Amino acid sequence: MILRAVEDADLIRKARRGDVEAYNLLISRWERRVYNYLLRIVTNREDALDLSQDVFLKAYQNLRKLDDPARFAPWLYRIAHNEAYSLFRKRRPEGETEELHPETLEGAATLGGNAVFPVELTLAVSSALRKLTADQRETVILKIYQGFKFEEIAEIVAAPVSTVKSRLYTALDLLKNELAPVKARGVS
Amino acid sequence: MSCSPFDLRDYYFKDLAENARRLTEVHVKTCAHCREELDRLRGTETALLALPDEEIPQRIGFVSDPVFQPSAFRRGWDALWGSAARLGFASAATLSVALLVFSLTRPVPQASVPAPAISRTALEADFSKRLNDAVGKAVAESESRQARQTRELLAASETRHALETQAMMVRVQEYLDVEKKRMNTLLLASNDAGSANGDVR
Repeated sequence: MILRAVEDADLIRKARRGDVEAYNLLISRWERRVYNYLLRIVTNREDALDLSQDVFLKAYQNLRKLDDPARFAPWLYRIAHNEAYSLFRKRRPEGETEELHPETLEGAATLGGNAVFPVELTLAVSSALRKLTADQRETVILKIYQGFKFEEIAEIVAAPVSTVKSRLYTALDLLKNELAPVKARGVS
Repeated sequence: MSCSPFDLRDYYFKDLAENARRLTEVHVKTCAHCREELDRLRGTETALLALPDEEIPQRIGFVSDPVFQPSAFRRGWDALWGSAARLGFASAATLSVALLVFSLTRPVPQASVPAPAISRTALEADFSKRLNDAVGKAVAESESRQARQTRELLAASETRHALETQAMMVRVQEYLDVEKKRMNTLLLASNDAGSANGDVR
């Protein structure tokens, strides 16, 4: 992990000098993670891909504003978070003030209109995640799937650590109840 | 409800201080309820992780386009400012060049022209002359002041003497007038006595 961070910092320095190939190499290290983060937030492959491209373009344009290259990951995810929520705002129907929900899905067994993971547990997890609020879901994704520390998540979502913990623990309680019947059937 | 001394979820996500972590660990070993709670958390996380990552459908990459690339000067400038080591080296190099240029262009001191020798005797003579001048000037001023004061005192004394003489003359004149009157009176008295004696004879 440390070696990776060192290599990232080196690539960032080169990219700052206009080395596009170094930046492409940096993208190749992060694009899958960023794409999956966005996919689980917006639940649409096309949007997730478009947003990923926007994220890396904005990151390139603002790379010189990154004070500490060692903090690249939270900084990059902060951009991704902003892009995703910007999309939510654009698509929110006028006058709607309730909790933002990502692009609606037709069925519990689909992601973005396509069957993604044809396993019962996978579907149950997808379904359970969609029952969370957008904030809770994002916190679960950043902690469980992306492995960020609480402080880093707080930086990404621009909220206090206590709020982040509260969202995560509430979400886990809900998920535990949602997934209990599936686990009881021995799918896991 | 957990009976753990600290939040079991903080313990599970390794967000406790070392001491708190150890205390919770000891508690969990003896508390079946908390162990079940931890198992449920672990089970939930395992279930969530059953949702695998997807491959990105299309790789993201940027093409190096000279139009959008910063100029060579800008790249060099950014590289310079982007690295403390390079900036330090550039500063040191600039300073070295400045010192070199200064040393090469600095006017050479004229070694063939000896500096004028300063004579101690001349200095002493000059000092004595200045001192004597100053003392002479001060003495002259003092004498002048004394003479002026003497003249003023003399004038005042003469004035006073003249006034006293005048007053004395007035007094003498008065005395003479009084004596003259007395003599006249005596003379008149004598004449009166002589007339009386002639009548008798």
